Amino acid sequence: MSALRRHVSVLGASARLSFLLAMQYRWDFLLDGVMSVLWTAAAVIPLYLVFEERPVIAGWGYGEALLVIGWFTVLDALLKGAINPSLVTVIELIRSGTLDFVLLKPADAQFLVSTARFRPWRLISLVSAFGIFAYAFSVIGRGPTWGGVLQAVAMLGAGVITLYSVWILVISVAFRAVRIDNLRYLFEAVFEAGRWPSSVFKGVLSFFFTFVIPLALMTTYPAEALLGTLSWERFIGGWVGALIFAVISRLTWKRSISNYTSASS
Amino acid sequence: MKRRAMRAATPAETEGSAGAQIQVTDLKKHFRVQPRAAGLRASFKALFTRAQETVRAVDGVTFSIEAGERVGFLGPNGAGKTTTLKMLSGLLHPTSGTVRVGGHIPQRREAALLDQIMLVMGQKQQLVWDLPPSDTFLLNRAIYQVPRPQFADTVAELTELLDLGDLVNKPTRELSLGERMKCEFVAALIHRPKVLFMDEPTIGLDVSTKVKVRDFIRDYNERYGATLMLTSHYMDDVAALCPRVIVIDKGQLSYDGSLEALIKKVRPEKRLTLTLQREVDDDALAAIGHIVERTEGQVIFRVAQDALAEAVSLALSTLDVSDFTVEAAPLEEVMSELFSNAKRRAEADEEPG
Amino acid sequence: MRTLRTLPALFRLSMAKAMAYRGELIVWMLTSTMPLIMLPLWHAVAEQAPLAGFSQSRFTAYFLAGFVIRQMVGNWASWTINSEVRTGALNRRLLRPIHPMWAYATESLASIPVRSLLALPVAVLALALTQAGHLARHPLLWVMAPLAILGAWAIGFFAHVAIGALSLWMHQSIKVVEVWSAGFFIFSGYLVPVALFPSWLRSTPDWLPFQYQHGFPIDLVTGALSVEQAAHALGAQWLWVAILASLAMLLWGRGIKRYGAYGG
Repeated sequence: MSALRRHVSVLGASARLSFLLAMQYRWDFLLDGVMSVLWTAAAVIPLYLVFEERPVIAGWGYGEALLVIGWFTVLDALLKGAINPSLVTVIELIRSGTLDFVLLKPADAQFLVSTARFRPWRLISLVSAFGIFAYAFSVIGRGPTWGGVLQAVAMLGAGVITLYSVWILVISVAFRAVRIDNLRYLFEAVFEAGRWPSSVFKGVLSFFFTFVIPLALMTTYPAEALLGTLSWERFIGGWVGALIFAVISRLTWKRSISNYTSASS
Repeated sequence: MKRRAMRAATPAETEGSAGAQIQVTDLKKHFRVQPRAAGLRASFKALFTRAQETVRAVDGVTFSIEAGERVGFLGPNGAGKTTTLKMLSGLLHPTSGTVRVGGHIPQRREAALLDQIMLVMGQKQQLVWDLPPSDTFLLNRAIYQVPRPQFADTVAELTELLDLGDLVNKPTRELSLGERMKCEFVAALIHRPKVLFMDEPTIGLDVSTKVKVRDFIRDYNERYGATLMLTSHYMDDVAALCPRVIVIDKGQLSYDGSLEALIKKVRPEKRLTLTLQREVDDDALAAIGHIVERTEGQVIFRVAQDALAEAVSLALSTLDVSDFTVEAAPLEEVMSELFSNAKRRAEADEEPG
Repeated sequence: MRTLRTLPALFRLSMAKAMAYRGELIVWMLTSTMPLIMLPLWHAVAEQAPLAGFSQSRFTAYFLAGFVIRQMVGNWASWTINSEVRTGALNRRLLRPIHPMWAYATESLASIPVRSLLALPVAVLALALTQAGHLARHPLLWVMAPLAILGAWAIGFFAHVAIGALSLWMHQSIKVVEVWSAGFFIFSGYLVPVALFPSWLRSTPDWLPFQYQHGFPIDLVTGALSVEQAAHALGAQWLWVAILASLAMLLWGRGIKRYGAYGG
């Protein structure tokens, strides 16, 4: 119980810190938020151009593909607002050797590291995501069912867990590599593939994006849930996959910590 | 060669609060590194191959420390001091051997232990850069679950001891190195740890700050009975703070005992400094003792303890001495002597036949 | 003249650095993956029938060539300059008797051999997948190709230096880099081949330097241009190089004077 209380109170203190830091550089960060909304809008343009030529691509229509972009935007907002800022902090900590201070603290290191920093204004993108959903449904011509929405949100939960676990795996690798800030860009770059419905990817790529970095699970499944075409088998499969990822990433993290050699004195 | 300090008999296994004792037995830490050669061709080759070698950072160290002791940890660069401290605080897992701090195994990183210890590293900080130190204090309060009244007391007390005033409310990036280090200490001691490890805490600080920090560390030890383990390149830190020193060289213990005894063992000679009215040539001086240094009007000799009285009277009678001092060998010399001795012994061991 | 003599050493050092961090390099290369991500989408688009002259095979050639070329013209000098201005490391550079631009240039160029080496498999893959059906034929085109790639690099380089120089006035010019990158993403043919732009947007890229950074070299290498068209575009490209180079040197010169006056 006291461990739980400790972690909750740390979460509060960390969030407070991130908020104070945000206030320090508020113009920079507001600009960041605005840019992210613009990029979201820009993301729709290639899709618009593409679908103007062909009404159906890989079995998806324009409105339906927009739903995938919408969920991508949601996950992207969470990635850049909650997951990445901490990721970047950890890389800095490893490089400067001050990760030691985190490991000295009587709280779970993975927790401390995951809650180190937030960028609350990034969540403005969630608003643009809703805009995209509204636009998509106007194109499709009908709204989602409540069951669909619930299933989609549940699927999103699995997607977030998966995204977070993949990130933890990336960080665990970062313990060994010499110069690692590029891993963050790599992760973001691969993540971009989540914009398209997963059926766009064929062959090897399809396997990769289903089992290695399960973008299909993260963006396509919630979109299908909203459309009412996500079977319960795949739903459960998605959740099982998410939990497997979570367990593997936790074990990998613990292993990396025990192998960790901090920077020399 | 290991030595055990002569300690007054202590109650053997009083397990009072956690952090009362530090026990290290045959501790080893070996690292595997990839050597990097210079030059274009070597870099190109390195693209395809992957050689590795083992670095024996700590190679069989044994010692134990009682609660409330102040121990200095000395050794040349790369001797294994920082590595040992990190194993004691649970940051590194030993390759073999045992470590116990307050009865706990540090690498398990149990909250019960971590609540009682702290590691302060010179030139590395945990203070959040863009915010005032007081915000980091609050974060640490949450992490260590320090009750609010105790937190307020601790911060007030430490701030006063270190003479910080309102500095804790200025953003960290606006503080000087000395001020930052002092705030570092406050952040590190929010939870009043019973065991404090310090790795070069005064590095880069100016003299007055160093003295302040030194006094503060001693105060903390006396006030709270905390156990201190300190590594430092500055011998005056060690001399001022640590009645007991452990010397480590190339990953192995080479001395464990009182500082005084160490000096007597390694460099038993005293330093005799004569201030002369008139210049004298070397022959006249040679009779007094071994000349270490000669400057304008001053000569420094190395004289064996038992020959000291004779040397002084000889000097006073034959030379025109206006002033003289007698002191123990400077610590730096003692250390370099100790390490060069160890090197010579190691080389002798390697010689064939 | 001393500059020329030190260039080989500078180059060697940068190359050694590039090779020492080989793992990191591969990761860096993989960060320019957008062409690889766009390809599946366009590939799926052309599944039933080619789109405005772009068959699946041609899309493959376009985007894989895009990936390779992107590796070869990578530039990041603006980041370097920004951080050096902030940390004061620029002072050290200025003390050296070589103009800093040479140093930035060699840093960027020195990683090209290794990156090209690592991008080679992709080039081979592209050739195999398209059965070399989309490769420029005329020998003159292949004479122009290295110039086009060098020009692409130069546009990026001088743009980065100019933007980096802005940090001598502004607190940070990283946001400006993002604006430039946005322009690049949209108008260079990086995400959407310029030929496929809708009619109302079709002429805009012609007024901007971006397509000469990316789309033009690709079109040249994949045989989409006649010798005449290629020569014309090459001229336009190097005109842009001249414009950006002058801008860069102007901004840098003025900026350094200001930097010195305000003590960095």
